[in-house]
Amino acid sequence: MLNFVVRRILAILPVLLAVSLLTFLIASLLPGDLAFVILGDQATPENVAALRHEMGLDQPLWWRYLSWLGHVLQGDLGRSFRTGQTVLQAISERIPVSLELMLMAEFIGLLIGVPLAIACAARAGGAFDRFMTGSAFAMLSMPSFLMAILLIYLFAVELHWLPATGYVPFTEAPLANLRFFVLPALTLALAEWPGIMRVLRSDMIATLQEDYIALAKAKGLKPSRILFVHALKPSSLTLVTVTGINIGRLLGGTLIVESIFALPGIGRLLVGAIYTRDLVILQGVVLLVACGFVIVNFIVDMLYAVLDPRIRHGHA
Amino acid sequence: MTNIAAAACKRAPIFLVAAFALLPLAQPAQAQKAGGSITVGQELDIPGFDPLKVGVYDTSTFTAAAAIFDTLTTLDDKGEAAPKLAESWIHSDDYKSWTFKLRQGVKFHDGTPFNAQAFKENFDRQRDPANKCRCAFYITNVKEVLAPDEYTLVYNLTDPSVNLPAVISIQSQNNAVHSPTAWKTKGDDYNRNPVGTGPYILKSWTAGDRMVLEKNPNYWDKGRPYLDRIILKPLPDAQSRFASLQSGEVDIIWDDENDADNIMKAQKDSKLTVHTYKGSGAAVYAFNTKVAPFDDVRVRQALVMAIDRPKMSQAISNGLSRPATNPYGDGSWVRCKDDGALPYDVEKAKALLKDYGKPVDFKMLVTATPRGRVIGQVLQQFWKRAGANMEIDQVDQATIPSRAFSRQFQLTPWRIVDLADPDPQVYANFHTGSPLALSGFSDPELDRLLDHSRVTADTAARIEDYCAISRLINKEAIWFWAFQNTYYALSSARLKGFPKIYNGVIDVSTTWLE
Repeated sequence: MLNFVVRRILAILPVLLAVSLLTFLIASLLPGDLAFVILGDQATPENVAALRHEMGLDQPLWWRYLSWLGHVLQGDLGRSFRTGQTVLQAISERIPVSLELMLMAEFIGLLIGVPLAIACAARAGGAFDRFMTGSAFAMLSMPSFLMAILLIYLFAVELHWLPATGYVPFTEAPLANLRFFVLPALTLALAEWPGIMRVLRSDMIATLQEDYIALAKAKGLKPSRILFVHALKPSSLTLVTVTGINIGRLLGGTLIVESIFALPGIGRLLVGAIYTRDLVILQGVVLLVACGFVIVNFIVDMLYAVLDPRIRHGHA
Repeated sequence: MTNIAAAACKRAPIFLVAAFALLPLAQPAQAQKAGGSITVGQELDIPGFDPLKVGVYDTSTFTAAAAIFDTLTTLDDKGEAAPKLAESWIHSDDYKSWTFKLRQGVKFHDGTPFNAQAFKENFDRQRDPANKCRCAFYITNVKEVLAPDEYTLVYNLTDPSVNLPAVISIQSQNNAVHSPTAWKTKGDDYNRNPVGTGPYILKSWTAGDRMVLEKNPNYWDKGRPYLDRIILKPLPDAQSRFASLQSGEVDIIWDDENDADNIMKAQKDSKLTVHTYKGSGAAVYAFNTKVAPFDDVRVRQALVMAIDRPKMSQAISNGLSRPATNPYGDGSWVRCKDDGALPYDVEKAKALLKDYGKPVDFKMLVTATPRGRVIGQVLQQFWKRAGANMEIDQVDQATIPSRAFSRQFQLTPWRIVDLADPDPQVYANFHTGSPLALSGFSDPELDRLLDHSRVTADTAARIEDYCAISRLINKEAIWFWAFQNTYYALSSARLKGFPKIYNGVIDVSTTWLE
């Protein structure tokens, strides 16, 4: 197992390097000159040239990349030219909010998706299965901003059960914190469960046709035991992948959901940085998100190995 | 009194400003109640307050700045300059020097005394070329600020300004007065730890979430402010911002015509109040007359005449946007019997383009926002009908000023903001040689009118000048005006004492809860 972990870590290092290069290039190749943005109306050619020199923007691209990477490796992601905050400070203030949102959304998604998948697989092709498969399709085609507004109008404006917008840290008021997260997490989860359900459902149906299940049935085991003990674990391999990919996808979803529900997370930070052309923040957040994605995939690989011994021994 | 001030007094007519006439603070005949707290739903995250860092304040920053900082002057209900940190003022005959007498005994939140030297340091810091502040652009007309004694302040201007006290009343990056001790001791951190003399003190600020302002117990205006606490929250999504107001989580929100449905809904809701302010200025567009096809007046006139503004208003804001035919607007004191507006006439437009003889193809800059795109598409249709082909060039908001200043455009959107006097903007936008004269149009008569209007004290004569300016610009069609500036705030009906939304600033520092 240790061997496997080391091999995987060595494999992601070049990926992380490529990610850093792409992040740097994206921010550098965006149209518009950073010096122009900072100087605004003060942008005379002389001022622009002086500032470009001061910021090292007149150096060749490879030199700028290496010096940026050098700073990043020492934990220095730079400072926003607009707010004066360091990127690390800005990100560390926001990241707990996004993590809480993503984990809660994924949890609710699994909570809805897994039982429904098992129920559908148990009677594949039946009325319930057909109804749920159809509903899942309908849910998938619903954009999250529309879902968010519908939930706000129902639960905040009409019923007054939950707040429409806002946030308090968990450490300050745990219950209030959870109340603020219910609607945004539900919005994301409602887009997550259909995928979870469909993947697990079809894997379960396939597993249920295996010989060993027939054997278990012949032995007279209870149907619930067959479903939950014998069929669920081998069917969940794809589910683990989907969950991993979902977490990456959820990062994208938080851009919209955090803006609508006014949660001070990483998505809002990114949107704000784009609007104000705060390239230093933009670079930092994109790098972090991309690395987060790579690391989540690494964890998924590890889980694979735990779920299926053939993978860690290199047979699959 | 110092020599400068004494000389100014001798030469100048005195503007009668009674110290007790704190008109903007005079509320309708209602009993103000002390105590309580309100939450304000804003459009944007506030980047900070240090002009050197943020350059120019946005609408959300204005609201916070109005509570944390004071300005020298303010505007009363009639839109005229009234005292704030300055108690009275006089000007020289040529309107190039203004002397302000400052209020005594005022202290910043950190205990630093407010005086002429503190103000001068604020000004010098913004103007210092070494600081490269974007904010410096807006005070290039001020040659220097002098502090001849502790409570006397002198503005020496490069050009005359008959209405300076009104012009410097907005809570902008240039006019908000910061504590020099605070920015010197806090350095980079000052941006997010502002210190002013205003009615509220910054208590805490969680990035992206909330800013908590507490009542300043030592505020110079005794009895004010009324509320104990103001909480400012960025709620970027217009729909959820309105939902938060409906569900009672926030007490007042910023809004605009983009969000016409919610404004109309709020008008019908007895629990809500719609605050509307018809300001001066307008959303405008500038033709670059130095490049084809806009170097020909026929093309410019044709495009302006092809625009059906009421229909456009319907398309972008359910008819809420008010068409504009001059740069001043209904909220300005400049009202023209004849502003020379070109009529909507598609047939005439077609004839003009036919007369021009060549195909009219051009690109227009629009902001990469839903609103920008819609405006672009609507204009594209109007112009197509007249026989001109416009290609939409979508760029983000921050790119427009740099493209405009470097003249890399054929047609660009712009805005004339709601200022108490038209001079600063109109002069900058149309006088030959100004960096902001985006059209590159030069006309001796236009220059003469602009020069005359800024040195004339007689309001009637100035109105005549400004109307003549409007007629000239409309005839030459170097710029056109789309819609007048209108500002909105929606609040709970319990919130009282909310002032006029001058310059789009949601100033809640004078409000109370019923």
